[in-house]
Amino acid sequence: MDRQPVNASYHGSMRSRDSSSTGSDAREKIKDCFRKFVAFMFTQVGVGALVVCYAILGAASFMHIEKDNPDEQLQHVRKWRQSCAEELWNITVANNIFNETSWVLKVDKVLKVFQNNITAAVHTGYNGRSPEDIWSFPAALMYSLSVFTMIGYGNIIPKTIWGKIVTIAYACFGIPIYILYFCNMGKVLAQTFKWLYITAHECSRRDDAVFEEGEIIPVKRKITVPSTACLWVISFYILTGTIMFGAWEKWNYLDSTYFCVISLCKIGFGDFVPGANISDSAGGSHLKLVINFIYVLLGMGLVAMCYNLMCEDVRVKVRELKEDLKNCLDDITLKITVCMNDTKHFHQKQSRHVK
Amino acid sequence: MPRRKRRLASRIRAYIRGLLSFLFSNVGVIVLVVAYTIAGAFMFQAIEGESEMERMTHMALERNNTAENLWQNVTLALNLFNETAMKERITIELIHYQKKIVFAVRHGWDGGRSSRQWSFSSAFLYSLTVITTIGYGHLSPRTNWGKVVTILYTLLGMPLFLLYLTNLGELLARWFKCIYALVCHCRGCPGFTKRRAARFRQQLDISDAESIERPPHWKSGYLDSDCTPEYRIPPNARDFQRRPDYFRSASMPQPWERREALPAQPRGWSEPLAFRTDSEGTSEFSYVTFDAQTITVPISVCVCIMVGYIIFGSMLFGMWENWDQLDGAYFCFISLSSIGFGDFVPGERVYTPRIETSFIACSMYLMLGMALVAMCFNLMQEQVIHYFAGLKRVLKRVSRCKR
Repeated sequence: MDRQPVNASYHGSMRSRDSSSTGSDAREKIKDCFRKFVAFMFTQVGVGALVVCYAILGAASFMHIEKDNPDEQLQHVRKWRQSCAEELWNITVANNIFNETSWVLKVDKVLKVFQNNITAAVHTGYNGRSPEDIWSFPAALMYSLSVFTMIGYGNIIPKTIWGKIVTIAYACFGIPIYILYFCNMGKVLAQTFKWLYITAHECSRRDDAVFEEGEIIPVKRKITVPSTACLWVISFYILTGTIMFGAWEKWNYLDSTYFCVISLCKIGFGDFVPGANISDSAGGSHLKLVINFIYVLLGMGLVAMCYNLMCEDVRVKVRELKEDLKNCLDDITLKITVCMNDTKHFHQKQSRHVK
Repeated sequence: MPRRKRRLASRIRAYIRGLLSFLFSNVGVIVLVVAYTIAGAFMFQAIEGESEMERMTHMALERNNTAENLWQNVTLALNLFNETAMKERITIELIHYQKKIVFAVRHGWDGGRSSRQWSFSSAFLYSLTVITTIGYGHLSPRTNWGKVVTILYTLLGMPLFLLYLTNLGELLARWFKCIYALVCHCRGCPGFTKRRAARFRQQLDISDAESIERPPHWKSGYLDSDCTPEYRIPPNARDFQRRPDYFRSASMPQPWERREALPAQPRGWSEPLAFRTDSEGTSEFSYVTFDAQTITVPISVCVCIMVGYIIFGSMLFGMWENWDQLDGAYFCFISLSSIGFGDFVPGERVYTPRIETSFIACSMYLMLGMALVAMCFNLMQEQVIHYFAGLKRVLKRVSRCKR
């Protein structure tokens, strides 16, 4: 046992000397700084900063790529509208009499063609805004978040070839970083929450101990946070999100709860996205997007925390259940053997009696 | 009488245990996931199917209204054949109408091309995208009940799918390792084991020689992490002295008693269970499987598999949906990484009788692909840990030499 600290200190000194023990102080200092930097980068603050930086970098690059390309859809839609108006005029001229029913019938046919065109355009990503409007910085930030957290709202999508390629590459590097963040944040938050829970628990238990003085309370017991506490935390977070988004977006409460759950579960249908209303002006939605970004990122950390704690809890519960079952089975087998022995004795006695 | 009762009880217990272990086995989990998805499909179809019809008629009404508007406001109001003025007015009306269409499509109207949006196959795909957390979003619940049920369905379904992923990922990783060992390392070749044993012995001599000059507390730290890509040196050398007869036992059947006397060996080097039971014929094979679990598959192979799977998918979907290669690969990547933008969705573009097949193939592709991703993740994690161990070893060696 006592070898370990010696070992550690020995290695520590070794490492600080490292391969260049002949080097000057400055070099050593630089190395020390570098090592500290790397160690910092793997702490929770460093990972959080890394994620945010990565998101900002992605936002800038996507904005740069997608903003320049001229949107063909807009021109298409304009052309369709013009041709539709032209056809309507032609119908009016051709009919040349104010016969309402026939006119309306023909107009209806033309409108149906127009409608189908627009539907197809919407399905391929047209939403009535120019690329400059869509790819504002907060929206691009939201887009890169939705890529590397694997939510994928799909309200904003890359249309250029380069945008698609960069998205794939961005996801390839971003998802491991995000997973690092997820694990790290989960661990840290779980520890914090556990500490809080245990202190609260101990406070309340001390009162109990005062209350019932004579009994012996088992002090040495490992406390695990029950999963109900985690569920309470998560539902409280969702409730906060519900009220917040409900107030801003004028969704009803069911819709905003639905949005929060779908976001935090990484499903991301994209039917409700804050700040992505078509009728919304582009300027007002920026703050909402940024706040949504923070909400989602924090929520992911909370989910990771709950996942950690609940795993632990479930493991403990399963072990207890196993022990209980074992005890129960042992009991039953004991009873059965006793019963069998009794009956054996009984039979033997009877046979003796017969004899 | 009690004896029979006990037998019955034990039999029942065995049945229950068998059922539980089957449910948590790979086949059971797959069946469970598929059954859950099918149940979800029926449920969502029942909930959402009715409101869909309403929307369809609503849109037709809207079109009629626009035509009426054009007649009332434009033609009658202007009442003269002034082309430019009339076109302007018509354009304004059309812009209004266009906004309505965009809104309706955004909220789940399909343009009336497919007769039923919530058919069984699409509902199946919907529930699959929910539990896999892909979430394309081209179909989403419109009714209040649909939303509530989706939330509950997610909360129950996601852990289930996670179970499926870990279970199947581990299984696939094990299989893949066996195949990799068989193909790339030629573990099944006759005579190879002998050469390998010789090499091991050589390696042992070297490591013994090295261990002499090292202080004991280094040795313990060193040997723990000492592993090289193709094989691993056993955790301590004392066990290794018994290795030769183990190797002989692997290639040729040995008397039963001698092996019985062997002490329990450390993990990864323990004898395969199948080996203990019997038979000369399986000994060779069990040796192969046993050894396969100790090797690690390089990351490049995992990446190649994923790229191959994505390219296969892009070809498959490209054939069905007339997407070009990049779009297909983009779709596959976005789906398998569970991002799921929903700008490309199978079965949306092409309305042929083939739709049903494509839906089913797509769901198969997704489920298998997710498991493959989990497998690759498993293998890559192992390899990365292994690399780190190697790096640590190198660092320790570097710090040991005092130059």
